[in-house]
Amino acid sequence: MFKNILVPISSEYYSKDVLERTAFLAEKFKSNINLIYIIEEKVLNQTDKLSNGFRTSDEIAETKKDIIREKRLTADNIVFDDAKYFFKRKNIPFKEKITEGEFSNIIKRETSKKDYNLILMGFEKECFLNYRLLDELDIPIWIQSKSEGKSILSVCSNLAPNVKVPDLSIKLSKLLNWDLNMLYVVDIEDSVQVDKNGKRSDKKPERDLLFTGQNFVEEMEKKGINVKLVTGSLEKVTLKAAEEISPNLIIVGREQKKKGILGLPIKHLKRKLAEKCKYSLLFVN
Amino acid sequence: MNKINSNKKFTISRYANIIFIVIAFLILAIFYLAPTPDGLSHSGQVMIGILLMAAILWITEPIPLAVTGLLIMIIQPIMHVLPPQEVFSSFGNQAIFFLVGAFIIAGAIEKHGLHRRIALRFLSQFEKSPRLFTFGIMSSCAFLSFVMPEHGVAALFLPIVVSILIAMKITPRQSNFGKISMLSVAYGCSIGSLGTLVGGARNPLTIGVLSDLTPPINVTFFDWVIYSMPVVFISLPIVWLILQFSFPIEIKDISAAKKEIKNQVNKAGKMSKKETIVLIILIITILLWVFFSSHQYFGLAVIAILGSILLFLTRTINWNDVEKRVPWGIILLYGGAITLGIGIQKTGAGSWIVNSLFHSVGINTYIVVLVIIILTILLTNIMSNIGAVAIMLPIGIAIATEIPGISPLLASMIIALSGGLAFMLVIATPGNAITYSSGYFSTKDLFKAGSLSNIACVMVIFFVATTYWMGILGI
Repeated sequence: MFKNILVPISSEYYSKDVLERTAFLAEKFKSNINLIYIIEEKVLNQTDKLSNGFRTSDEIAETKKDIIREKRLTADNIVFDDAKYFFKRKNIPFKEKITEGEFSNIIKRETSKKDYNLILMGFEKECFLNYRLLDELDIPIWIQSKSEGKSILSVCSNLAPNVKVPDLSIKLSKLLNWDLNMLYVVDIEDSVQVDKNGKRSDKKPERDLLFTGQNFVEEMEKKGINVKLVTGSLEKVTLKAAEEISPNLIIVGREQKKKGILGLPIKHLKRKLAEKCKYSLLFVN
Repeated sequence: MNKINSNKKFTISRYANIIFIVIAFLILAIFYLAPTPDGLSHSGQVMIGILLMAAILWITEPIPLAVTGLLIMIIQPIMHVLPPQEVFSSFGNQAIFFLVGAFIIAGAIEKHGLHRRIALRFLSQFEKSPRLFTFGIMSSCAFLSFVMPEHGVAALFLPIVVSILIAMKITPRQSNFGKISMLSVAYGCSIGSLGTLVGGARNPLTIGVLSDLTPPINVTFFDWVIYSMPVVFISLPIVWLILQFSFPIEIKDISAAKKEIKNQVNKAGKMSKKETIVLIILIITILLWVFFSSHQYFGLAVIAILGSILLFLTRTINWNDVEKRVPWGIILLYGGAITLGIGIQKTGAGSWIVNSLFHSVGINTYIVVLVIIILTILLTNIMSNIGAVAIMLPIGIAIATEIPGISPLLASMIIALSGGLAFMLVIATPGNAITYSSGYFSTKDLFKAGSLSNIACVMVIFFVATTYWMGILGI
């Protein structure tokens, strides 16, 4: 299922939990791992820019070289050392490399070079991630947080095609032996129905949306999955359900957001979840 | 498998620089064209416009800081605020040549690695416990910032401390010891830079502006040390304690750090002949600064240039090194900053701003002192230290002429020292940015520790200003 896993680690944020989870999944799915340590260009540029005027270009270049050297040392002596600890003892094949650039761009570049089935990363608010990446890639992106337990919260809604999420949730729940809790949220703040191709309909009355939701629930029941049908704001309902269940993983699909001026989304559910939610997330586009 | 769905990017950031420049000039144009209020001359009004334009350009930095300095200089004759002779005569200020000399001496120290040796020697005295070690980092940075620019010290300590942390297997962001160690570098450099005229470039700017006043106020190297050291020695342990409380240290064993320092000391080897010469010249220069920098002797600049010439004569430095290690941009920035002060003072803009600002607050000396400290610290956290001091100094000096109980020297010292305390944001000072690049602390950590430290330092400067400067020294 996850034959090739890409594990990008930003020089801005590193957590052992990411490697631990990668090792767990790789062992289950017999995966190959590509571990990339990314020296954040943004930080180097920021340091350059701020030093400009106070220090000469030679001094700035020396400092930049020092920073890169120390980052490489950090990668070699801390991150890759931890990787060896987690992967080698389970005989998990992995490759490691260090690169310089912008986190999201490097991920895009890597994924265009090789077929990956999963991207697994850590996350900390206010740092490196360009949130557009979460929408732009059609590879599942797993954002690992420190979470315990053995359950999955799978979120379907009127705003998503609900094709990949149910299937992936069922498969993962069986393979990992984690309990599955599935939600179907009728977002009353954005009352449209997204079809299987990801197209938003015109505004619909709540009863129509509930009717489609009920159909989904019945369809899932046939597969032996209980789905809870709820109404409310997708973001709030998801966060509330997460707090109640304390899942190991929340699976969210490609919700089609309402667009505002300049074609920018009014709400960015994935961003909000990534920033507010303390549980691991799996975004499936 | 991967298909990138969209590559469209919203590119407002690309135009941000142009927008900032347009806003800055628009404000200047408004001040030039708007009707003049009572009590303010048209030149004064334009000068306030120039001050605001400079503030916007120094905060947002769409053009280099030094170019803003040049812009300030040329815009004054263009708008008939000050004649060109007066504007460009600011380059004759001895603070500028002091700075040139100090940069050359610092360049020699860096070239021969003397700073690294001093840093390691200092650090090796604090290897007993993790807590003491972090205090060692902070005080070593502060000590070195007495004799060379703070940003250079931060750049020096970055690889030293990171190597130690890596040797100790300290994981970036996850370890409080790592956080405190790197924050100690940033804060140690900032606090140390207050101590002498060499540490922070804003210090010579302050004495430069003071010496251009009528009547001039001359501050010697020794005077500065006498004024500033209490702030340094009170702030240093307080900020260190704040770091300890903010991030309780989780490790007990420091043996790997000891080993790494020993390793680095061994790598540095024995002191070379040239290193010894640089050290001797440095000591001579500092002694001359301390004892002979007053006006009846040589003055600051003569000694700084003498020290640099000695370095050339002993062939410990050559012109190539000077080109590599002297940031000429700061010298240009100085010209702009000093003329800004002169313009604000001569056109009466400063007095008008002060009267308008303190009209509602009243003229309670203590409140005014507190307001100056807080304003400067807030400003220095969102823009370059030197820019913040350059903007606040003319206002501070105007305050001194309008409000009884506050002298120009007192106001300037408050501004100069508060201007060095940029603790909260990465963008506040290159020292913060350099240490942040290590990855050992987050912006949230910096803000948490920085805001507490800034509050503590507001109190320290207020205490020193009202008791020591005003009470004991009577400045």
